[in-house]
Amino acid sequence: MVQLRPRVSRTPASASAMVDEGQPASEEEAEHGLLLGQPSSGAAAEPLQDDEEGDSEFDEDEAPEELTFASAQAEAREEERRVRETVRRDKALLKEKRKRREELFIEQKKRKLLPDTVLEKLTTAPQTTIKKSPGKLKEVILQKKNEECEKGSDSKKTKEKVQKVQSVGHNKSYLAVRLKDQDLRDSRQEAAKAFIQNCLYGPGTNRTTVNKFLSLDNKRLPVKKAAAQFLNNAWGKIQLLALIILYTKCYFVRRW
Amino acid sequence: MLAVGWGWLTDARPSPVASQLKSFWFCRRHQPHRRCRSLRMGEFKVHRVRFFNYVPSGIRCVAYNNQSNRLAVSRTDGTVEIYNLSANYFQEKFFPGHESRATEALCWAKGQRLFSAGLNGEIIEYDLQALNIKYAMDAFGGPIWSMAASPSGSQLLAGCEDGSVKLFQITPDKIQFERNFDRQKSRILSLSWRPSGTHIAAGSIDYISVFDVKSGSAIHKMLVDRQYMGVSKRKCIIWGVAFLSDGTVISVDSAGKVQFWDSATGTLVKNHLVANADVQSIAVSDQEDSFVVGTAEGTVFHFQLVSVTSNSSEKQWVRTKPFQHHTHDVRAVAHSPTALISGGTDTHLVIRPLMEKVEVKNYDAALRKITFPHRRLISCSKKKQLLLFQFAHHLELWQLGSTVATGKNGDTLPLSKDADHLLHLKTKGPENIICSCISPCGSWIAYSTASRFFLYRLSYERDNISLQRVSKMPAFLRSALQILFSEDSAKLFVASNQGSLHIIRLLEGSFKHLHTFQPQSGTVESMCLLAVSPDGNWLAASGTSAGVHVYNVKNLKLHCTVPAYNFPVTALAIAPSTNNLVIAHSDQQVFEYSIPDKQYTEWSRTIQKQGFHHLWLQRDTPITHISFHLKRPMHILLHDAYMFCIIDKSLPLPNDKTLLYNPLPPKNESDVIRRRTAHAFKISKIYKPLLFMDLLDERTLVAVERPLDDIIAQLPPPIKKKKFGT
Repeated sequence: MVQLRPRVSRTPASASAMVDEGQPASEEEAEHGLLLGQPSSGAAAEPLQDDEEGDSEFDEDEAPEELTFASAQAEAREEERRVRETVRRDKALLKEKRKRREELFIEQKKRKLLPDTVLEKLTTAPQTTIKKSPGKLKEVILQKKNEECEKGSDSKKTKEKVQKVQSVGHNKSYLAVRLKDQDLRDSRQEAAKAFIQNCLYGPGTNRTTVNKFLSLDNKRLPVKKAAAQFLNNAWGKIQLLALIILYTKCYFVRRW
Repeated sequence: MLAVGWGWLTDARPSPVASQLKSFWFCRRHQPHRRCRSLRMGEFKVHRVRFFNYVPSGIRCVAYNNQSNRLAVSRTDGTVEIYNLSANYFQEKFFPGHESRATEALCWAKGQRLFSAGLNGEIIEYDLQALNIKYAMDAFGGPIWSMAASPSGSQLLAGCEDGSVKLFQITPDKIQFERNFDRQKSRILSLSWRPSGTHIAAGSIDYISVFDVKSGSAIHKMLVDRQYMGVSKRKCIIWGVAFLSDGTVISVDSAGKVQFWDSATGTLVKNHLVANADVQSIAVSDQEDSFVVGTAEGTVFHFQLVSVTSNSSEKQWVRTKPFQHHTHDVRAVAHSPTALISGGTDTHLVIRPLMEKVEVKNYDAALRKITFPHRRLISCSKKKQLLLFQFAHHLELWQLGSTVATGKNGDTLPLSKDADHLLHLKTKGPENIICSCISPCGSWIAYSTASRFFLYRLSYERDNISLQRVSKMPAFLRSALQILFSEDSAKLFVASNQGSLHIIRLLEGSFKHLHTFQPQSGTVESMCLLAVSPDGNWLAASGTSAGVHVYNVKNLKLHCTVPAYNFPVTALAIAPSTNNLVIAHSDQQVFEYSIPDKQYTEWSRTIQKQGFHHLWLQRDTPITHISFHLKRPMHILLHDAYMFCIIDKSLPLPNDKTLLYNPLPPKNESDVIRRRTAHAFKISKIYKPLLFMDLLDERTLVAVERPLDDIIAQLPPPIKKKKFGT
């Protein structure tokens, strides 16, 4: 007569796991435990002392488990709930992370900006001390001797203005520039100017230089002359002095 | 050439010697403008100055006002000038320019109100009495490309960069935004109201839209061919549209076409190809029987509505007259009842009266070309021989050259010391300089912009120059129209655009406000011209309409007022010892008024009775400066752009039969004949075009010339013209 030893479940589930949590560590353990009729208490509940290596041989011969609909449904619901929980937790974690990063950025920005007191003082300062753009400061240019006098007084003035702002308490020298929508307006104005320049003088327009224009007259006169060319570099090309003397003498004597 | 004494003549046939010397002089003309040539003319050495690099800005818009016969002209640097066409085309008012104000459209509205709009997106109204800007209102549509006032004058339409057409209501003190019309795809470059006020034509890029004013919606969209009978890559820009009362819309575009459209059906009726380049402007007369278009080649075409045959009632538009008075683009045209007005990049303002419209065919019907300014841009310090040149954004100070050589009549003298460019003073801020002055002693320089007044103390000794700014100038001095220093350089007289006259005492490095003369009779009338007597007692100030006021500087009271004359004053000066006030008006009349006696002088009455010579009255440029000779109280030196004249009050006056420009008779003629042909007006046309002429001391004259070629050389490039054989 073969004595059937009481079967031990492959994964011994602790009694506390069964009792404390609503859901055991894994569904299958529960099934196993229930089906195999593992007693929850009593002597037989104690796991066998023997080694469990021998169990694997017997597991292959086991009949497939039978699952009731209710249990399967419950299982599925549990699964769903768990997934939802994990997703929610993940989202919450991400949100937390983002919030923390935002705060960090704001703080960094705040650190970069001037302290509020400085800003207040700047905005309430009189109009004359605020300049539109630093480029327009250097307006008075003296080309000839002794510019120090004027520059001296001028720089003193700007220093004065800068000092006014500096007195607010900032160490480095800077210039307060107030932008009143100037950027947008200027860019549109520039675009408009570029458009008209392109229409009138851009590629495709049939323009000629003033040089050639003035030369046309010279070439149509009964006594043909050379083309007019300008000595002044800014006006046109440089020309030999001799040619000018030779040809303009006749030209202007005629005119006068 | 000039003889010893006071016989002046024109060089009809220069002698061979003179031409040789002259040609030598002329070949140096094209060198950098630092040469000053001296020419001995009998008693005088004349400094011929050609280093004033004056280039006026091109004309962008022109608007004609029928009621007052005035023309508003706006230039590319933002300056707006008002010309009084009935006062001999004199520029009576101007508004200084601004760097950011690129005006694109100018129009008159009801009640003599002037509006302009530009690429900075603002609509600006000008105050014609106080000569400043009333307000600038942002249209919030981006840069404004076109503006048109309704035929009734109570509404204003602005075409913007974003394709919107905005309607504004003109209220008594401001303008108010009413509504937007349907927004179009591309920028609105030209606008025109139908005379009945019901429709609007708006020209854009490649198409023209016709709007209904009441609903604001676009009724028709007429597509314009890019090129006449062809395909072109360049977009067709509709530079101008005009709406006639019968529903015809005339458009001019960048392909050189003038097209007639029917606005009821939105179809093309007639096509005229007038140029190879852009046709940039159009203006229709009030009677709608003629219109004028301006092209980029400088040609202005006149179109007229003529009947098909002599007795049929059917009419058609025919291109009748071409006028070639410009060398560069003609960007603005206007049509007055009797004349065609055009202006463009070549900076001339050309007024061409139409012969069939002019009633009296006299000299008034001749072509008028306004090239040179009607105000003085140069001031001179006689003691130190310094010249101060006023530009739009900077001032230049030059020291005249000197020579030790002597020569005879007509010689060109070599310079021992060249003219020196001492100072280049740039103004702060984007505004243009309105007026400037240097004191006679050469130690003070003052100039004014629309918002600030600058006074500098200059010290120049032995090649050492230093400039110091006098700070904290009072605010009431800004926007001055005229600045003048007294002869001893102790007082500064400033005429502001509010009509008041300020006297400032100058101390070493600082100033003290002495007195302000408020405008008479409560009206705000800007004082345009000032003159101070050499002894410092009298100050004369002329306004635009009232007579010339003479103030006693010692008592700080109004002394008298010269009776008003219906033409504006162009120049004013007080003679040294006699304290006679000499006034030149825009119709070329010259009056002499004795200040101590408070009446016109005998000489003035005589010449008024006899009348000026007809050639004198037919000159078309105004007299801009009058000066006197210290030792000869009978002489008055005055000049305009093309001549300078010394009036000798001791000699008999010329009547209409005598020769005004009398040449010097040949030397073998007797003295008797010479004396018989001599008369009071000694005119010389040697130096032209003259911008300034003055007596530096008893033996020296300075003449600042500006040859037209030098201006043309610095203009933007013109359209290429292909001529046969070149």
